[in-house]
Amino acid sequence: MTRNPSDAEDLVQDALVRAYRFYDRFEQGTNFRAWLFKILTNTYINSYRRKQGRPQESSLEDTEDFFLYNQLSQDRGEQVTAVEDTVLDQLGADAIQRAIDELPPQFRTTVQMADVEGLSYADIAEATGVAKGTVMSRLFRGRRLLQRALWDQAQAAGFTSGSKVHLEPQDNGVVAQLEGEATKR
Amino acid sequence: MINCQDCAKALNPYLDRELSDEDIVEVRRHLDACGGCLHVFQFQESLRRLVRVRCQEQVAPESLRRRISMSLAIEQTRIVQRRAPRAASPE
Repeated sequence: MTRNPSDAEDLVQDALVRAYRFYDRFEQGTNFRAWLFKILTNTYINSYRRKQGRPQESSLEDTEDFFLYNQLSQDRGEQVTAVEDTVLDQLGADAIQRAIDELPPQFRTTVQMADVEGLSYADIAEATGVAKGTVMSRLFRGRRLLQRALWDQAQAAGFTSGSKVHLEPQDNGVVAQLEGEATKR
Repeated sequence: MINCQDCAKALNPYLDRELSDEDIVEVRRHLDACGGCLHVFQFQESLRRLVRVRCQEQVAPESLRRRISMSLAIEQTRIVQRRAPRAASPE
């Protein structure tokens, strides 16, 4: 959330103290981690984001849902089925964290809660104070952006041939049909 | 049977464990029959795993644990002090 280790430590400390103070408001039987994340999010919004001014709504370029799959399969000349077999496996924790940090705040938090912490849509909605549909659309866009960011990290680290990133969707079967699809089910 | 487009749309909700049992059956049936979608699924699943594992490698520093223990102890003291005047007899 904070994109800065020392602010992150302050935030975690403040949030845990608040959780401890308001522990009697925790409803037994509900998801404790989700409750903690909600406090963490509120603490962040109340104290940290205010400090930084309003978050900017960045303009987001449209990317494919399976950008990395397309990119790596194209480089390889055949379909890749495991990221471990690709250059991305060489990315360390630092590089992956940098990629996540590049996401705009609302996407970053949501993607992190889902992909790293494994929270459900309902729990993320509760923790971030938005509707479940908003969580789904943030995940949808955030994950697209994350794939771009991971690719950028791989290129920055010199793990890829440096081939030009294709902005057009690749015309290989199923993936081409996905362009423009939304999360609505 | 669902088509490739629906299957792809279900990919992330599937990995997120947000699909209904019926939808899971539909997705699996499609993947059994469609190698192209299966490759995409396997790749996306491995990508998700990579991000999660790498991020979980990062552990909070010991200094943070100490700071938090200390501030919780201070908070505990405050709570006790605040409640003490009201309580007939302290615990």
